[in-house]
Amino acid sequence: MLESAGVVLVGGRSSRMGRSKADLDWHGSTMLRRVTGLLQRGVDGPLIVVRAPGQSLPGLPPGVEVVDDPAEGRGPLQGLAVGLAVLQGRARSAFVCATDLPLLHPAFVRRVTRDAGLADVVLPVVGGHRQPLAASYATSLAGAAARLVSEDRLKVGFLFDEATVVRLDEPQLLADPALSAVDPGLASVSGANTVEEYDALHAQPEPEVTVELSGALVAGGLDRGRHTVRASTLGSAAASVSVHLDRHVLAAVNGDQASRDPEFPLVRGDLVTLMSAGAGG
Amino acid sequence: MADSSPGGYFGRALVIDVSDGSTRVLPLPERVLREHLGGVGLGTWLLTELGPPGVDPLAPEAPIAFVFSPLVGTPLTTSAKFAVVAKSPLTGLLTDALASSHFALSGKLTGHDALVLVGRAAGPTTVAVRGGQVELSDARAEWGASSAQAEASVRARLGGGWQVASIGPAGERGVRYATLSHDGRHAGRGGLGAVLGSKNVKAVAVHATTKVAPADAPGVLAAARDLRTRSLGRATSKVRELGTMANVLAYNALSTLPTRNFSEAVFEGAAALAAEELASAHAVTRASCASCSIGCSHLYRDKGGRSVRMEYQNVSSLGSMCGVSDPEAVLAASSRCDDLGIDTISAGGTIAWAMECAERGLIDAAWLRFGSGAALLRALDEIGTGTGLGPLLSLGSRAAAEVVGGDSLTFAAQVKGLELPGYEPRTMHAMALGMAVNARGADHNRSGAYDADLSGELDRLRGGDAHVRGAVESEDRAAVMDSMILCSFLRGVFDEPFAEWAVLLSLVTGWDVDADELRTTAQRIVLAKRAYNLREGWTPEDDWLPERFLETDLTLASGRTTSLTPQRLRSMILGYYAARGLDGSGRPPSVQT
Ligand code: SF4
Repeated sequence: MLESAGVVLVGGRSSRMGRSKADLDWHGSTMLRRVTGLLQRGVDGPLIVVRAPGQSLPGLPPGVEVVDDPAEGRGPLQGLAVGLAVLQGRARSAFVCATDLPLLHPAFVRRVTRDAGLADVVLPVVGGHRQPLAASYATSLAGAAARLVSEDRLKVGFLFDEATVVRLDEPQLLADPALSAVDPGLASVSGANTVEEYDALHAQPEPEVTVELSGALVAGGLDRGRHTVRASTLGSAAASVSVHLDRHVLAAVNGDQASRDPEFPLVRGDLVTLMSAGAGG
Repeated sequence: MADSSPGGYFGRALVIDVSDGSTRVLPLPERVLREHLGGVGLGTWLLTELGPPGVDPLAPEAPIAFVFSPLVGTPLTTSAKFAVVAKSPLTGLLTDALASSHFALSGKLTGHDALVLVGRAAGPTTVAVRGGQVELSDARAEWGASSAQAEASVRARLGGGWQVASIGPAGERGVRYATLSHDGRHAGRGGLGAVLGSKNVKAVAVHATTKVAPADAPGVLAAARDLRTRSLGRATSKVRELGTMANVLAYNALSTLPTRNFSEAVFEGAAALAAEELASAHAVTRASCASCSIGCSHLYRDKGGRSVRMEYQNVSSLGSMCGVSDPEAVLAASSRCDDLGIDTISAGGTIAWAMECAERGLIDAAWLRFGSGAALLRALDEIGTGTGLGPLLSLGSRAAAEVVGGDSLTFAAQVKGLELPGYEPRTMHAMALGMAVNARGADHNRSGAYDADLSGELDRLRGGDAHVRGAVESEDRAAVMDSMILCSFLRGVFDEPFAEWAVLLSLVTGWDVDADELRTTAQRIVLAKRAYNLREGWTPEDDWLPERFLETDLTLASGRTTSLTPQRLRSMILGYYAARGLDGSGRPPSVQT
């Protein structure tokens, strides 16, 4: 069984935003596309999006599974219960987050899920606030979460009373050099709940990433070597070195994902290697 | 061309008994040709028909077939190729390999769709085929020579117009992964050189005596012009500009460059071995097979001024797999493999396995260490001369592990006895499946499932149904390309491959082939190989990967770890069996055990 999976809760009412957060633009992509892609980059196992019944969603990365909340407006605990239930037997734990964390860094996800074997819940505490929607939950909690929902005890906090919980405060999180190097301010948990919060996050400089060209792309006359650019997506990183992501081009991100999806989300510290597609030999 | 044969065919194979030079013509009915096309497809049929069940691959009765194709001799780019098919001494199952150039053209124009050798000559022999005439001659002068030297020597002896395929010293010595070569191109995998060597045949020479016409010559010419133009587009720019060596940095960036016997997938010395670096330090010339507009071969000048053909597979197997980052050592090792006539992938894989054995104390060889170019070259020399560790390493990693014992089989990176090419299965789950189930063993030619992994359309780290579809599709495409034959480097230029290949095949043969028929043909060829293997002792356990890949996690450059669990692999294999119409144990439903 895989260690960690991901769940993105998208079925909330977004009442403070006044519109669906999932569709909001994020530098040429959408909030949901970005958050699912970021989470996919941080976990080893499957990725589940839990939506309101029949809710229409923007495009998602390949391999993401979409499931419906059984009823609308029952809050995040219901979505959490549904997501964990889908993952039972497939992954030991899941990093669960909301769709409004556009600065979530895969290194943050990895730091949190690293402790998933220590307790049922790994709960970051940032700025004095618990972060239940940027936390790791054992998939074995699915039953307890569902029962709480059926008892109308809809706060995620109720689940903590029935589980072992490890809290990770800021010093503990930042003791991880891989995380502190790329997200020293723990912006990973900065939520865009209101239009103002969204505007403020969106106005921040896009992440600084490194792009390198290899193979025939270099021989084709482009400048070899590494270029530092600011880009939130693969498409914009490639465009900044005059490469169009068509079927003849493939990108490796940190030796991890292989993609030519222009909306593939990038974060600070990424190394993007652009190469000619067409493998073999 | 026999009157009744379809365009591009002669409708017959020549079976030659090298014990005495006697021959017989084997008619190839049109139905057989249409169902198996040529190349590896027809070769599989011939091996099934002519090979005694359960035969020792190195016994006189074991056939080895040189198989041409309907497209050979047409102006269609990359079509001048031939397949060599035999039972492998490395795997005990079917092996087939392609080589290129004028041997294919002249061999076919002897008037045969295939030449099949059986028997064993009394001493070192050259088999010369001119039309239906076969002459055996003494090859003692060439015995011990490299295949290139032997080729030149036989051509000089026989005179103009002859094309020669030859084995090197490794084939003579029965190294189980010895190659068979023509014009610097090797039918590399599975020990075909050892099969020829077991017959005491150093070289096969062919001389054209006839012509063959396609059914629609103007149509073929127009198609050839179009294909040539398309072959010069972006789909092939990588192999044209840098050759397959372009993969070194790319695969390293993708955490899929096998390193130190697959214990890692990112090699710190990759940059020094990359095409981009090597090209600046070594003069590079490009070469191509006959009738090819792409020209993927890149030859690097070594310190001694010798040109060495370098491929990605050489660098991954002899470089990163052995932890060797010294480009001079890797160039020298590649050159040594060419001289000996051994498959670089199996040689590098077996030596890398032995290096790990030595480091773990399972083999007593203090000199044999990862990272040592000198050790790499010494190991190759010992394989070539049969001294020191040579006899053990000549067996290939699986059989050698059975000798060494301990847990050494768990980290012998092979499937069915064939060493893995330069693709890390844990970061390429479609390819992992392809290598597990392919008839030839761990294979990147008959299964190019890496295309699916690197398509950007699926998550290569989470194998599932899409990966199964990718692996099946890739096998089917390879089955057609390797049978009709077109070079696999051309595959990216086809938008609708089966439909476009059907048009080409129809123009050449006069048949009204369509895409559906070709898909059926592909499936038939894949299953025919499986059926042959079943007959020769394949068991379901043979469709699997070594423990190293299933029990050990791999750390990616991102810091994330990844794994390929046995459950995931099993699930993909079952999906593959279902897609192929096989039962849950990988057998056709009609086959009882
Ligand atoms: S692409 Fe390369 S291997 Fe293929 S036919 Fe041309 S030169 Fe030969």
